Amino acid sequence: MRTSSTLRDCLIALVIFALLAALPIVWPSRGMSDFVIRLAAFGIFATSLNLLVGYAGLESFGHGLFFGLGAYSFGLAMQRLGTSIPAALALTVLLSVVVAGIVGAICVRLKEIYFAFLTLAFQMLLHSLIIAWTPLTGGDQGLTGGVPRPPFLGISLDQPYHLYLFSAGLLVACLLLMRHIVQSPFGYTLRLIRDNPARATSLGINVWGMRLAAFIIAGAFGSIGGVVMSLFVSGAFPDFAYWTISGEAIFMIMLGGTTLFLGPVAGAVMLLMLNDVVTKLTEHYGLVLGLIILLFALGLRKGLADYLAELWQERSAARGAMQLPAAPFAEPSNKLSGE
Amino acid sequence: MLLIENLSKSFGGVLAISEVSLNFTPGSLTAVIGPNGAGKTTFFNLIMGTLLPDRGRILLGGENIAGLSTPAIVRRGIARAFQIASIFPSLTVREALLAAVNAQRQQHARLLARFPLAASRHRAEEIMHMVGLATKANMISRSLSHGDQKLLDIALALVLEPRVLLLDEPTAGMGPEERWHMIDTVQRLWQREKMTLVFIEHDMDIVFKIAQSIAVLSYGRVLAEGTPAAIRRHPAVIEAYLGSEYAAGRA
Amino acid sequence: MDLPALANCVTSLSCIVTQSTSGLIIGMLLFLVAAGVSLIFGVLKIINFAHGSFYMLGAYLVLTVYGLSDSFLLAVITAALGVAVFGLLFERLIISRVYGSQVLMQLLVCYGVILILDDLVKIIWGPEFKSLGMPAAFRKPPYLVGGGVVPVYYLFLIVLTLLIALALGLAITRTRFGKIVRAVAINPGMASALGINTGYVYAGVFMLGGLLAGLAGALAAPVRSIVSGMGLSVVVESFIVTVIGGMGSVAGALVGSLLIGLVRSFGTIGFPLFTEGLMFLLMAVVLVLKPSGLFGREG
Repeated sequence: MRTSSTLRDCLIALVIFALLAALPIVWPSRGMSDFVIRLAAFGIFATSLNLLVGYAGLESFGHGLFFGLGAYSFGLAMQRLGTSIPAALALTVLLSVVVAGIVGAICVRLKEIYFAFLTLAFQMLLHSLIIAWTPLTGGDQGLTGGVPRPPFLGISLDQPYHLYLFSAGLLVACLLLMRHIVQSPFGYTLRLIRDNPARATSLGINVWGMRLAAFIIAGAFGSIGGVVMSLFVSGAFPDFAYWTISGEAIFMIMLGGTTLFLGPVAGAVMLLMLNDVVTKLTEHYGLVLGLIILLFALGLRKGLADYLAELWQERSAARGAMQLPAAPFAEPSNKLSGE
Repeated sequence: MLLIENLSKSFGGVLAISEVSLNFTPGSLTAVIGPNGAGKTTFFNLIMGTLLPDRGRILLGGENIAGLSTPAIVRRGIARAFQIASIFPSLTVREALLAAVNAQRQQHARLLARFPLAASRHRAEEIMHMVGLATKANMISRSLSHGDQKLLDIALALVLEPRVLLLDEPTAGMGPEERWHMIDTVQRLWQREKMTLVFIEHDMDIVFKIAQSIAVLSYGRVLAEGTPAAIRRHPAVIEAYLGSEYAAGRA
Repeated sequence: MDLPALANCVTSLSCIVTQSTSGLIIGMLLFLVAAGVSLIFGVLKIINFAHGSFYMLGAYLVLTVYGLSDSFLLAVITAALGVAVFGLLFERLIISRVYGSQVLMQLLVCYGVILILDDLVKIIWGPEFKSLGMPAAFRKPPYLVGGGVVPVYYLFLIVLTLLIALALGLAITRTRFGKIVRAVAINPGMASALGINTGYVYAGVFMLGGLLAGLAGALAAPVRSIVSGMGLSVVVESFIVTVIGGMGSVAGALVGSLLIGLVRSFGTIGFPLFTEGLMFLLMAVVLVLKPSGLFGREG
């Protein structure tokens, strides 16, 4: 069986968290801590998008809807409702679930390109709402005034290291949860639907219902990415709901690959690093980024992790096995890699 | 088991299926034959609920399933394998069958458990052995040979524990040896599972070898129905489809 | 939200005239861009996200050529042809490589091109807002119709683009070229088997799209500011138009563009901050009720 076990995943998660926790101690650097926190936000967000794109076969252009919604609802909950952070987090997720349920129910019935556009329409609708509803959202200035961070459970997010640990913890926890979902019977049914919706229907599967469930789950996790971002900038900006957020997440997924579970996170690491390095070297960030995107999209035509995984599979097959052996945790390319 | 009464379907004025009435008795093995365009696949589509009939009844074990949705029909015990193998390309044979068994047992939406479910293993392995794909369990479906893909397609249909199994040209696109291997597998399956099996086929050697009864469709109508011997001698069938070779009783 | 202002406007003839004219030019310029997007989708089944960059290039080219030659006519023609050539290069060198790929991959390729072009224009022309200024031929006092203001240039634009729309419509339905394009759109395999060089058709459609978008950018230059990234809102709006009008339909693009143009111009009065939102709402409604759009084919 190509799947790993729950135990193995939990252990890996613990190890990663321990490494992340130790990192600022071993290498104290404000830049590095900031990097990890941003990685947490985008890693969660990109992985949640991949639930839709890579596992369910739903190509959404408007996933940024949830990133923005998460950031703003968390920020507003903290500023206006004065709740505790866990409560605000729970409220945000709840709101995202409701919004995802409504938006999903409308969008999921549509075919590919129309689904993609409608999700984009909803995202830009939110963006317009954010810009227009100045008294609530601060309009194009964003949520100013900072997000209060009352301590909870002995954690005080005003302290940099606590914020760092919290973000890293959320990243690991969300990844672990999404991993579990993807490796559950539900996750495999999503793969069935992705590969052959007609056959899945003939097996008695309610394709629309499953897709909607995937959309809701992805939206919920996407909003958690927004929450981390909101904590990081201590506020929220309309950019968080602009279409470029979706574009960047798509790029992260393409860079890192859609078939390995951690592909999107790898892509997030790559894009953030690229971001940092390029902005230091040149003010022509767009030019360099654009060229690199073209290199990937036209050259490799698939994500980096996908490409490497396929190379590895080809090597093992070439080593003379009669059957195609199972690679430990890789899944072969789905249609996203351009086949 | 499966009784078709006066089934009709037209597409914008073209009568694709016209007053088709056929009776598939329980446990029978029937071949549906006829020239291209006779409406054979449309016939299957109507039974499976992929298309809605204009008129007529489709009685499965006495219950009229005409007009029901495909999932509802599938739940009542009819399954179908496709002319062009309809499989799940990126999953391995084992994964695909395990996931399909999950669906059949209504366990496919579970979020808390881990895949694969222990309770589904037995049935998945059993089916893999039945169709002869056990040695290729870990192969990714898209990398299977054409013949093996069709076997997988049939395996996926078997997951549903159907009372009636519809096979749409199971040997299409295969070379002579593969063809007999396939039909051999089909026959063994039929004997073992005691299901009512209906298959569309163009290879008359195969049809006359294993079919218990034959239904001949032509231009959307039933031209004839009966035992292989009777069909072989049927003048209209000979004229429309078989030619004199089969009439003479070439085995 | 400022509903009283909107109510005032629709009950005043002068306001209706002014806003409708404004809406018409927004719509007509948008039509030139959207027609290209729609055609490219109809024939190639590709969403050209980079179409806004074609528009932007048209504006910058007209700026340069007008600055050098002082002839608006020459500048517009050069700009349109220049972008047509760019469209050809874009198709041959870049987009044709991802024809079979998933939509997200095509989106990514276009995103890359947009990023590159946005930076390139900043490098070549500078990051500031530029403006062309009204060409001498149109520096006349505006017409007053029913008390409303109709600038001379606006009138010129509307008439010109209507003529182009007519020409385009005729070209597609009556000429041999149009027949070939439609054949390839419906069944490329068959068209190819009948001896039509689909590669030429694809390149040709991109050239036409580039021509129209470049023309739009050039014609818009006197009345819009020219800056890096100006293609973005145009391309987003042209998608809304193609969705509303129906992918692949030029008539749909015309109707959709005019609709959006009017929504924009009257919407700015009633919903100054939410105008974009209105358009997305409209698109969402169309997608829910009839996904293939007003003039689109089902499925």
